[in-house]
Amino acid sequence: MARVAGVNIPTQKRVEIALTYIHGIGRRTAKEICARLGIPASHRVQQLSDNEVLRIREMLDSEYRVEGDLRRDVAMNIKRLMDLGCYRGLRHRRGLPVRGQRTHTNARTRKGPAKPIAGKKKVTK
Amino acid sequence: MPRSVWKGPFVDGFLLQKADKVRSSKRNEVIRTWSRRSTILPQFVGLTFGVYNGRKFIPVLVTENMIGHKFGEFSPTRTFFGHGGDKKARRG
Repeated sequence: MARVAGVNIPTQKRVEIALTYIHGIGRRTAKEICARLGIPASHRVQQLSDNEVLRIREMLDSEYRVEGDLRRDVAMNIKRLMDLGCYRGLRHRRGLPVRGQRTHTNARTRKGPAKPIAGKKKVTK
Repeated sequence: MPRSVWKGPFVDGFLLQKADKVRSSKRNEVIRTWSRRSTILPQFVGLTFGVYNGRKFIPVLVTENMIGHKFGEFSPTRTFFGHGGDKKARRG
């Protein structure tokens, strides 16, 4: 078991894939990290030496924003918009799409499951 | 896509002149404007703008955080009172 960036314990997968289990690391960043540390793509996490794991940890700490830090940053950015009273903030407050999408239909990701409208008759054949 | 940096921020020229005038007059009066498309610049901080929303001028006190946003963002053009029927409080 390798513990990297706090809570993440990736498995016997390839390093490039295992790293993407960390919030804030996608395929691209994972590849970049492997390349910079000279870890071959075929290597699996269990094959890594302690030294290599340590170097991954150091690199994540010093150069990337991951997990809690990243989540806090995102939350702070949204909070800033909400406190500012600008249009984007208002949309965040109401849980509606922020970037000008239509809300007449769809927008279910932001709005959540459809709520039934009181008094609306179901169409029956 | 964001605006090209080499163009600089977009501001309607008359707004700059007006801001300067209010600044030098030392009186904090509301600067009425229809220019919702103008970017808020650092030199606008502390001034109050009345941003037109199609019906009235919404007073906007410019703070440091607002720099880089547009005036229109602070003056909503639509009013939504919610749909009829569901009387329970909805706004959080």
